[in-house]
Amino acid sequence: MNVLGPSLAPYIRSSRMLKKYVTPIAHWYADLMGYRKMGLKYDDLQVEESSQVQRALGRLTPRESYDRSYRFKVASDCDLHHKPLPKEQWSKPEDDKRYLQPHILNVLKEEEERLTWDTMTVQRK
Amino acid sequence: MLARRASAFARSFATVVDNAGVKVAAIDNGQPTTAVTFLVKAGSRYEPKPGVAHTLKNFAFKSTAKRSALGTVRESELYGGILSASLSREYLALTSEFLRGDESFFVDVMSSFLTSSKFQRHEFQEYVLPVVEAESTAASRNPATHALELAHSLAFRSGLGSSLFASPHSHVSLDDVKEFAARAFSKGNIAILGTGIDSAALTQLVERTLAGASVGNVAAESKPSTYFGGETRVESHGGPETVFIGFGAAGPVDPALAILSAHLSPQPSVKWSQGLSPISAAIPQGTSVQPIIMPYSDATLFGLLVQGSTAEGVKEAAKVATKALKESAGLKGDALKTAVAKAKFAAASSLDGRDGILGALSTKVFVNSDASIEATLASIDKVDATAFSKSVAAITKAKPTFVAIGSVQALPFADEVGL
Repeated sequence: MNVLGPSLAPYIRSSRMLKKYVTPIAHWYADLMGYRKMGLKYDDLQVEESSQVQRALGRLTPRESYDRSYRFKVASDCDLHHKPLPKEQWSKPEDDKRYLQPHILNVLKEEEERLTWDTMTVQRK
Repeated sequence: MLARRASAFARSFATVVDNAGVKVAAIDNGQPTTAVTFLVKAGSRYEPKPGVAHTLKNFAFKSTAKRSALGTVRESELYGGILSASLSREYLALTSEFLRGDESFFVDVMSSFLTSSKFQRHEFQEYVLPVVEAESTAASRNPATHALELAHSLAFRSGLGSSLFASPHSHVSLDDVKEFAARAFSKGNIAILGTGIDSAALTQLVERTLAGASVGNVAAESKPSTYFGGETRVESHGGPETVFIGFGAAGPVDPALAILSAHLSPQPSVKWSQGLSPISAAIPQGTSVQPIIMPYSDATLFGLLVQGSTAEGVKEAAKVATKALKESAGLKGDALKTAVAKAKFAAASSLDGRDGILGALSTKVFVNSDASIEATLASIDKVDATAFSKSVAAITKAKPTFVAIGSVQALPFADEVGL
């Protein structure tokens, strides 16, 4: 089990019929989750208490890091008021991209490569 | 013996221009290991902003499309090879030394840097920038290196005057490096040199692996060099007091300078002797004088590096060195013959080692010259007393380049030394 958690998305995307019917349900569920009403993006919910995610967070551009910290501040403020943000300030679905997932996948790939190099047996032909 | 080596050098020096302009030259003397060098016209002379060439050199062997940085290092270690990158004012040299038979892997490693390096941001920040900073700091703490950098900057200003090292004040961004790499890594700017490998085999390998390189005819632009000269002093402590007295000229390298350097060099031919140099007899204890020639494709900087533990000693030694330099214009007879013989030996024996061979090839490969060692020795031989004194007079007439590093209140000025 890796830090991104289990996911049926690759399987669903691989089938055209499944993709056609499941995608609207997925969009509806993401809206229902309510994180967009606090001005957050999906990757802001990513569990960051792990060394791999910390390495991935180190690869964000300074602008991305700053925006992420800003969204956390806004969401914490929201939590204090026990109210969601006004509708104009909700994060838009088209802006809700997975900005951290590619970095996490790269980190996981690099760790796996390091493990392979550390444990391989070598034979000279 | 020299004749055999010389003819072997001349015979196996093959300059092949393949269909898109990559030059290949290789010499095979039957060594058990092979060394292949990719020479790119991406030296500090061609950099658009200060520090970019130094940063690009430190990006060598990091992630490419074919293998990651870790994969490159681990796989090279398994093969038993040595990878290195070095920067000179005109060229970026990527070198790998390995056992015969492994050339396809190592040529692939180096050419994938030229064709498909990823230049990732996190590698730039975590691997490249700390090394750039460390090398720049080490260079500025070494008075001899610092003196040469300042001398070049005074002598040539832009182009050849650009420093080999990034400075802490010049902010180099990843985009600068990527742009410089895209322009410099085009086929007309690349030459492949090999020792211990057959020329035809290397050409074949290179054609296969560099097939994807940009065929851009964006030749590295640099204005032709002019020599200016000047004087500067830098306060410093913790190292030897240093003075560099330099002279330069635009144009191809003059063989008389090699003879002058051989004449002045205090390095004795017989150990524990003082040698015949006019300098070694007269400099005070604890000081050293070293002649330095730096030939480039269209200019040369020649100079004497004087170092010592006290500023007064260095002042004395600098006066002796300048006097010897000016008096050597009248060199003739047996003394000239000694100097000529020493210069010829130095030129020939430099080809004993791999570094010397690569250095000699790198000066010739881009200009497609087939000059062999015999031609170099002959050109040194041809210099007679009148030609020699003319050359020395010509360089000492131009404005000298004077650099003093150390306790500047005690170190001499250029006119105090006799310039």
